[in-house]
Amino acid sequence: MPVTSFSLPSLPLNRRDILIGGAGAAASLLLPSLAGAQTKLQVTEGNVAPLPIAIPNFVAGSPADGEVGVGVAQVITNNLKRSGLFAPIDQAAFIEKIVNIDAAPQFQSWKTINAQALVTGRITRQGDGRLKAEFRLWDVTSGQQLTGQQYFTSPEYWRRIAHIISDQIYERLTGDKGYFDSRVVFVDETGAKERRVKRLALMDQDGANVRYLTRGSDLVLTPRFSPSTQEITYMEFGQGDPRVYLRNIETGQSEIVGNFPGMSFAPRFSPDGQRVIMSLQQGGNSNLFVMDLRSKSTTRLTDTPAIDTSPSYAPDGTRICFESDRGGKPQIYVMPATGGPAQRISFGEGSYSTPVWSPRGDYIAFTKQGAGQFSIGIMKPDGSGERILTSGFHNEGPTFAPNGRVLMFFRDPGGNSGPSLFTVDISGRNEQQVPTPGFASDPAWSPLLS
Amino acid sequence: MKLKFDKNLAASVTLHVLVLGYGLVSFSSRSLEAPPPESMPVDIISADQLSKITAGIKSGEKDKPKPLVEKITDARPVDDAVGKITEKKEIVTASAPEPPPKPVEKPVEKKPDPPKPVAEDKPKDEPKPIEKKPDPPKVDPIAEALKSEDTKKPVPKPEAKATPPQPPKPKQERTFDQSKIAALLDKRDPTRQSITGTALNSSASLGTTRGAAATLSQSELDAMRARLASLWNVQPGVEHPEELYVTVRIRLNPDRRLAAPPQVVSSGSSARYQAAAEAAVRAVLQGQPYTMLRDETYEQWKYMDIDFDPKQMFRS
Repeated sequence: MPVTSFSLPSLPLNRRDILIGGAGAAASLLLPSLAGAQTKLQVTEGNVAPLPIAIPNFVAGSPADGEVGVGVAQVITNNLKRSGLFAPIDQAAFIEKIVNIDAAPQFQSWKTINAQALVTGRITRQGDGRLKAEFRLWDVTSGQQLTGQQYFTSPEYWRRIAHIISDQIYERLTGDKGYFDSRVVFVDETGAKERRVKRLALMDQDGANVRYLTRGSDLVLTPRFSPSTQEITYMEFGQGDPRVYLRNIETGQSEIVGNFPGMSFAPRFSPDGQRVIMSLQQGGNSNLFVMDLRSKSTTRLTDTPAIDTSPSYAPDGTRICFESDRGGKPQIYVMPATGGPAQRISFGEGSYSTPVWSPRGDYIAFTKQGAGQFSIGIMKPDGSGERILTSGFHNEGPTFAPNGRVLMFFRDPGGNSGPSLFTVDISGRNEQQVPTPGFASDPAWSPLLS
Repeated sequence: MKLKFDKNLAASVTLHVLVLGYGLVSFSSRSLEAPPPESMPVDIISADQLSKITAGIKSGEKDKPKPLVEKITDARPVDDAVGKITEKKEIVTASAPEPPPKPVEKPVEKKPDPPKPVAEDKPKDEPKPIEKKPDPPKVDPIAEALKSEDTKKPVPKPEAKATPPQPPKPKQERTFDQSKIAALLDKRDPTRQSITGTALNSSASLGTTRGAAATLSQSELDAMRARLASLWNVQPGVEHPEELYVTVRIRLNPDRRLAAPPQVVSSGSSARYQAAAEAAVRAVLQGQPYTMLRDETYEQWKYMDIDFDPKQMFRS
């Protein structure tokens, strides 16, 4: 782990606040008896709006760290803004300049600019050259510290620190796990449309730190992350039939998964990372198989004259969803992970493909084709609550963020241009393009790195 | 021939119709121009609210937390604050009426004196002209008389101050025997006593002088609700909003600010619930002071439970 973390103790002032709060809580036990007739007020309408948050530049321990202090604040600001749940306030509006994060901020000056939350932080250099990053998250209205942490890492990992802090803020204020400290593997596309070079590429979820994993001599498709985030599996058109490969990100070593006659494709890891599930072509149809990575033993899951493909595990590993045209058009089915009867869950107009189970377990995302459009949507694992999040000429390949609240997919506008990556909230709000160096397709979101 | 007859008939009918029709239109036209009624604010109230408004004459609540206090001295409990004047005997004066009370002397009544039970057993309503300007029902002569006794002057007060307000007397052409004044006075102990205590409290325990109980009006609550709604920040795209129902209990000071930090009294364990509860508390904290609340209704907004329910905002 390049990053170690310790939680920051609350400030003394804050502790007193907690005490007051505690006394208040004790008093509240008495309240019901005191208040015979209590007025009840029901508030059912609120502001569905991003939370205004102020993120001043982190205080630098020495002038040399000033750049990192600014950079960390910018990465956090960008992360939170892109999530659609926060509205970072322009630094130009700030009244108070944070110079010491060990003193409580002047909350009134932050209330004045309508901030509801405030992040203060400091970057200092340790004697051994490591970077120390501290931050505190404040509730401006109540004047309480919501959380505080300090991290130690080598200086080149300062972006990761910023992502981890973003996750802390996100989790504390929304109650959902964050997803910023994560990566995306995708297929980078360059060159003319007829002679596209496709390379596997890896980047931070915000588009920074792009690394290329393959040279582009062979065509690659459908990369997927392992739960350990150290390995990916993908399909590559090498010599002969397309095959499923396994690749270690750090070492660059790769191997073919299994030794099957014919084409193998659409691989995906099991939630424990011990198995890979995929499709094997057998004549004119394909079936689902799962291979144990340690013992290399292979188990057949389906045996139908139809095309069964795109399998994806539920996060608890007990069930899988997949796409099959056994009923005519491609539709989504759910079956036990060990095989057995499959139940069709998609019944809308058109055809459904590329199902992927949310890491939270509550939804299955899919690509839906119909009426000349490709849409990205979600439905519950029982097939209810179908919701289309985006539609257009070509949208495909949804992948969930680690917290299950955001989907990434690729969109091809057609014509001579190429595909690019987008994110959308599972409520259908906040569609955002993900910056990539060139055209990009087939994204797969990693689990959280830490 | 027949055709011609028909023509006449047709002409006749047409004429009649024309005349009658003209009459109908021209004579009725005026009644059609009803001017649009001026708009008038209307409060739609429920039966419950109506009963609250009309309550307060005789059926006020008895469980007032604070006793009625009119004077600040040592606390002297009064069993019956209203002071029933029960068996009031006829005061026998030879057809002589009681002395006219001094009307305007005490314009400021110290006691709210809400349900004047005395009004009912006013013994006589002789043709005695009441030339007091204040509205008659308000001033009860006997109550006034009693009150003057109340003010520790059992001496024949009417006499003492009789000179200026006496003029009504002569009008009645009655023989006024000064020696009989004493007899006119009620010598019983005053049944109505000032209630003393350490702090003044003018609200009577049985009803109020206004006749309408101070009730939190719907507009006050609406204004407060609107204020909270404008400050309540709800996360976009939240899943399972029905689990995020938060109740915040607050205690307010008369200055309309929170007397203590708001307490979340509903329960939930998830981190998302925690975040929702904090958002609700933020809204409550930001909303103060709640200037829309009226002083009179303080007892009702002193303690409040505010439910924040995001369910309806996310119906899909």
